[in-house]
Amino acid sequence: MFTALLKYPYPHRSTFASLSGNALYGQLKAAAPAVSRLAVFATLFAALVTPAAQGQESPSVKRIEQAATLIRDNRIAEAELQLNSILKVAPNDAAALNLLGTVRAKQGRLDEAETLFSRAIRADKQLVGAHMNLAYLYLLKRAPEKTALELKEVLRLDPDNADALHKLAWLLLSQGRLDEGITLIEAAEKTNPLPASLLAMLGDAYLKKGVAAKAEESYLLALDRQGENPDALIGLGLVSRAKGDGAGAALYLGRARGVITDSPDLLYKFAMAALNSNLNGDAMAALKRAIELQPAEPSYHLLLGITWLRKPDLQEAEQAFRASLKLSPNNPSAQMHLGYTLLKQKKFAEARGWLEKSVQKDTGTPESFYYLGLIAQEQREDEQAVKLLEKAIQLAPSFANAHIALGSTYLKLKNYPRAQQELEIGVKLSPDDSKAHYNLAMLYARLKDNERAQAEMRIVERLKSSGKGQEKDGDASAPSTPSPR
Amino acid sequence: MKSRVVIFLLVIIFAADLPFDARAQKGPGKAAVTFEEVPPGASGITWVHNNAHSQERFLPETVGAGCAFFDYDNDGWMDVYLVNSGASDFYTPAVPIKNALYRNNRNGSFTDVTDKAGVAGGTFGMGVAAADFDGDGWVDIYVTSYGRNILYRNNGNATFSDVTEKAGVAAPGWSTCALWFDFDNDGKLDLFVSSFVKYDKSQITLCTDETRSRHYYCVPRLFKPSPSRLFRNNGDGTFADVSKASGIADSPGKSFGAVATDVDNDGLMDLFVANDTMPNFLFKNNGGGKFEEMGLGAGVAYSEAGKPRSGMGVDAGDYDGDGWQDLFVANIDQEFFSLYRNQKDLTFADEPGEIAPATQLLSGWGLKFFDYDGDGDMDLFLANGHPDDMIEVRLPKVKHKEPLLLFDNGGAGFRNVSAQSGAVFSREFSARGMAVGDFDNDGDLDVLVSVNGDAPLLLRNSGGNRNNWLGLHLVSTRSNPSAVGASITWQAGGVRRTRLKTSGGSYLASHDSREVLGLGSAPKVESVEIRWPSGKVDKLSNLPLNTYVRVVEGEGVARNGAAAAK
Repeated sequence: MFTALLKYPYPHRSTFASLSGNALYGQLKAAAPAVSRLAVFATLFAALVTPAAQGQESPSVKRIEQAATLIRDNRIAEAELQLNSILKVAPNDAAALNLLGTVRAKQGRLDEAETLFSRAIRADKQLVGAHMNLAYLYLLKRAPEKTALELKEVLRLDPDNADALHKLAWLLLSQGRLDEGITLIEAAEKTNPLPASLLAMLGDAYLKKGVAAKAEESYLLALDRQGENPDALIGLGLVSRAKGDGAGAALYLGRARGVITDSPDLLYKFAMAALNSNLNGDAMAALKRAIELQPAEPSYHLLLGITWLRKPDLQEAEQAFRASLKLSPNNPSAQMHLGYTLLKQKKFAEARGWLEKSVQKDTGTPESFYYLGLIAQEQREDEQAVKLLEKAIQLAPSFANAHIALGSTYLKLKNYPRAQQELEIGVKLSPDDSKAHYNLAMLYARLKDNERAQAEMRIVERLKSSGKGQEKDGDASAPSTPSPR
Repeated sequence: MKSRVVIFLLVIIFAADLPFDARAQKGPGKAAVTFEEVPPGASGITWVHNNAHSQERFLPETVGAGCAFFDYDNDGWMDVYLVNSGASDFYTPAVPIKNALYRNNRNGSFTDVTDKAGVAGGTFGMGVAAADFDGDGWVDIYVTSYGRNILYRNNGNATFSDVTEKAGVAAPGWSTCALWFDFDNDGKLDLFVSSFVKYDKSQITLCTDETRSRHYYCVPRLFKPSPSRLFRNNGDGTFADVSKASGIADSPGKSFGAVATDVDNDGLMDLFVANDTMPNFLFKNNGGGKFEEMGLGAGVAYSEAGKPRSGMGVDAGDYDGDGWQDLFVANIDQEFFSLYRNQKDLTFADEPGEIAPATQLLSGWGLKFFDYDGDGDMDLFLANGHPDDMIEVRLPKVKHKEPLLLFDNGGAGFRNVSAQSGAVFSREFSARGMAVGDFDNDGDLDVLVSVNGDAPLLLRNSGGNRNNWLGLHLVSTRSNPSAVGASITWQAGGVRRTRLKTSGGSYLASHDSREVLGLGSAPKVESVEIRWPSGKVDKLSNLPLNTYVRVVEGEGVARNGAAAAK
């Protein structure tokens, strides 16, 4: 029975990341899948049982086993009675405290659960399961630092604990502590050959650091360990993309797609990689399948919307963002994307509503202020537009589009010196932005400097005929596509 | 000029015999104003446009055609002219294809008088512009074509003569919209003719799909632009081509819609011209017969991203009542239509408001600012349709046939009222030309829409006259015969409004030349002032309500000037 209980499903890395409640690993902030509280508790429960059981002697071991079975069968009240009766006799029984903590966690009484897990650890510092449970609990309580400490403790007690290693590595990488994560994985690899999943994670870390060669090495090693590891294949696709090898990227991603069948998380991850490799059709197909498999996952709808923006199909994108927000109404990224999509359709009032909601929760995203600035500009609120665009620039001084929009607002306000200043900054930051050159052309035309106006329009024409300008027109102002790493 | 006055007096007498009364309800109407289709069986307009559709899909097939409301027989009732395709270097019709002139029977129906009038055309027709170019009191018509244009002079006896060659206005090539206006304020009507791309059989490009199994209509980007034309009226039945001298020809375009208006209130009529896949033109009239193209600086040439769009229909009007002419351009799907608010310094801000999302997937042609409900504000009617009949294969969300749209101007922006404005707005058409006129003389403005390859739509305004109104027929003595450029200021119910008499606008169309002033629920017109292009000012008072009056330049309301009193 305990063996069976041990075989709890290890949460996929992206699921694990989402437990932290933040946008963690690989800046998947825009689209990190959420996980149900129930699933977390199932994991919690499973994590605690074996160590507890291992530490007990009969007959209390038998009673602990019974309590664990009751919890597994979701007979919580009976389990609680059983555990209380054990604790009445042995108030510091670590295994019972650990299990009762699980019960409290399942009941949503997280503070009490934390107290119980801590008591279990005080009673038995070697109780690995209690440390693991506490690690999970801290994830639920959005305390990743404490989670990491607990996981480190597990590894100190049980250096071969693959789960703890995996989770800690993931957590560190999620938090951008790339060097720590790399050191952890590489040290473990020296001791024992690691599974492909951890090597792929190592590759991800190197890729995120921009060390493509080391990333490639890790992914290839992962493939040596597991022939068609999807994470490694996706990673190699991204390495190829980073090296400018589009065909190679398509090849690896194609292989990855071949082995990913019905895993929504992997389909999602694949979609993100495909999107970053401009394989929009593949991304779309993968996301549609992921949504078929798991329709209630808001991040899938969000990424689908982003993919529709690439087409571009604003109506479909709008629909997808609305679906995402229906499932997760307070996601500022989805709010921003919907606001942007509505803005592009010139549905300004509603766009403003969503963007304002977004900036209430996330004041650090310059795009949101930029879009609000554009709306203010459209609504003849030029002074307000200036403030919003300046805020966007304050958050991201090299935000070319914001400079260009600010220049355009000053143009509207007939403040030609400021317009020129901002537009020239925009051109410096983004020389191929046809909108900047167009606004400069309009400015010079108004200043009756037709020669310079025509020169700027020739640049616009050149950009258009080279395809750069058109691409810019379509996407320059779009929210950046989430990075897969 | 005198003859024109006499003729109009006769018109008034006839017009007093009114056939029907749509004014079921007085005062400020709460019920929706609707546009009701007058079916061919009732209107007698059985003519159908033949777009010469071919498997090769030659571009002119999808561009036409136009229509006009004008009063050819001076009986005070709007007649209808419809333009058709015809023989060309790529098309030989199996049977002759005709334009059509329908005489208004004054009872809601029309009679085809094309053959008797001699205005059947025979060219591959595009648009029409009606005006009394020779000032003889009879409205003439200019028909644009792919090929040779035709100037039909109204003989005053229900017939017309083709005077194109004598007048020197054939303008071979591919002409689209035309308009009459007086650019040099000499009291004579000059002629502007939009030129589309360079296109003839020897250079015709045919476009195919990827499988090369089917042709589709080429994007105009593939063709070279062509300069539009400006003809100065010599006053003797001939015109001088001043396209080069005026500066118009310095800007070759792919021009469709054009409107003559005065964007800087300097008393000189400027031109705003829509171009397809090229920047639009704003030709500022600098006086002395010279125009300066300044669309870029004005901010009306390109999209906000600096991209030229597919401008098709245009119009001008003071929608926000600030005394400055605003502009409107309809583009192709995904490009959004533009409502350019005049910032009073020769710059414009594109502020389409609710119109933008409603037209995102539409392609607009005929369009007009007019006060459909008599409240005094300029509303907006849009006629749409995608030029590519296979567009749905490529873009399923974009339709070949598209709905008409009506936007009500409530004083604080436009509101889409199409859904409550009649069943016709729930149907879809390949609409092109769109003319506005009061064909039933009931004081509210009706609409005529030409449909590519199909029967035209005659839409009767029902309820637009629940508010009070005053119709003005301006009769010039010194100014140009159409009084284009006249500024009308009226006050009713304490509200003062101004309207500039523009020319052209919409697409391939010509409109009722009378001005209907919406008075809302005001019980009387407190004052009307007309500032004529000649500089003369007529101040009018004690005017009747809900009737047309004839106002003669320098004389005021003509004796027995009330017509069509309801």
